[in-house]
Amino acid sequence: MLSIKENFLETIKGGHPDRFVKQYEFMDIILEAPMGKNIMPGETIVDDWGVTRSWPEGQIGGFPVHSKDKIVVKDITKWEEYLKVPSAIYPEEDWAAAIARADAVREKGEKYVTAFVAPGIFEHTHHLMSMDEALVAYYEEPECMKAMIDVIVQRELDYAAELIKYIQPEVIFHHDDWGTQRSTFLSPAMFDEFIAPGYQKVYQYYKDNGVKFIVHHCDSFAATLVPAMIEMGIDVWQGAMTTNNLPELIEKYGKDITFMGGIDSGVVDFPDWTRENIYNYTKKICEECGKLYFIPCLSQGLNFSSFEGVYEATDEVIDEVSKELF
Amino acid sequence: MSKLNEVKEMVQKGRTKKIAGVVQEALDAGADAQEILDAMVDTMGDVGDAFSRDEIFVPEMLIAAKAMKLGLEVIEPQLASGAGEKLGKCIIGTVEGDLHDIGKNLVAMMIKSSGFDVIDMGVDVPVDTFIEKIKENPDVKVVAFSGLLTTTMPALKASVEAAKNCDVGNFKVLVGGAPVTEEYADEIGADGYAQDAGSAVTVAKELIASL
Repeated sequence: MLSIKENFLETIKGGHPDRFVKQYEFMDIILEAPMGKNIMPGETIVDDWGVTRSWPEGQIGGFPVHSKDKIVVKDITKWEEYLKVPSAIYPEEDWAAAIARADAVREKGEKYVTAFVAPGIFEHTHHLMSMDEALVAYYEEPECMKAMIDVIVQRELDYAAELIKYIQPEVIFHHDDWGTQRSTFLSPAMFDEFIAPGYQKVYQYYKDNGVKFIVHHCDSFAATLVPAMIEMGIDVWQGAMTTNNLPELIEKYGKDITFMGGIDSGVVDFPDWTRENIYNYTKKICEECGKLYFIPCLSQGLNFSSFEGVYEATDEVIDEVSKELF
Repeated sequence: MSKLNEVKEMVQKGRTKKIAGVVQEALDAGADAQEILDAMVDTMGDVGDAFSRDEIFVPEMLIAAKAMKLGLEVIEPQLASGAGEKLGKCIIGTVEGDLHDIGKNLVAMMIKSSGFDVIDMGVDVPVDTFIEKIKENPDVKVVAFSGLLTTTMPALKASVEAAKNCDVGNFKVLVGGAPVTEEYADEIGADGYAQDAGSAVTVAKELIASL
């Protein structure tokens, strides 16, 4: 039986895996790394970028609040006046827990030391401005948007240097949602113009500094962005929803990028979830996508589910389907 | 190109900096304010259809709506004095616990562009607040609930149930959002389901036709 890492490598390199990679099993995500002010359930906070975030009790996370008084960049033509970029340098003692965890993961050798980065470059633009205003600004004030994005990218690079200095990640798990279930927010041409260049820089920097794989989370339709993802250096697209026609993408691009997802959280992770329902979706997508360049996974962007037990049940189901199909 | 066609082009291409001037020129050339409004509403309908067909993206739809809004400001004084057909009131909001606004905003924008008076309740709206607003507006024709998270599906269901049982006026309930399907909309008792902002207008118009 292959180890977790060996099986992952065989899967993404088109070799001979002996089972499906089970969701996030190959990554040990070091969430102890300092990332700025953290929001907890039931809280409303102002984060280090000045973005007000609220986490309604019982929900799955914190979301930016965009009432008029809370928007950070109120006028894109004056973004430099409004935007105060937080320092990426955290005190050394803040890294202690992350270093200890990363060392332990490395010593055990079972999984990859993985750093988590969120929000992404595109997300930053709409968190700072509200989605409507940001998307309009991409059209109306492209030069201002590019200048603001350059600053966001530089902050990413500064933080990347810190991650490398302290925990030497082998995998970067990076969030940035680029669309809805059915479409991308930006056209592929605008994505290439505004978003891809920054990611190329950031992901290249990681790879130049010891990172083996880039896993990018985007739980939306993004099939039309796959060529850009490959250019940007993404090795695994996590959150790939079924609306993307994954079998077709695997056939076309599998040698260059692996698709991790196919089990849309929305159809299996709800209050009255059942194991049978998870099994049916999982079996179907595994049969359709095959054994190479595909990792069955909930589309959710971390290794848990919204409703208790769904993530674990999905793991069990993948084991069962592996026994049936391998 | 006629001035009216120019107005249409300004909306379709989202020429936010030019449209006010072109609408004024159309008025000066003798076009009727209602005629200009109809042209802009028709164009937004086309924009919504193009969005539903994945031919254009959210920013294109947003700037088209922004252009229409700016054009509307020019003709509003004439419309206020008598003209201007309205389809009725639509109360819209994202249900309690959910702070997503883009889908709701797009639907509100498209519904408004099609001729409804939209009352946008914002995001994270408690059931009671929706009901109060319905009671304040007994002439409401459509109440639209948005929910983007599986965790807020119970709130969506509760909102639909409360609206259907509130015994005020005569309106239809429309739902939408990422985890929502036609089947789920039926299951929770909604009158209509919209897959996206473009189709929301069609569904809303069908719903009021059945009132």
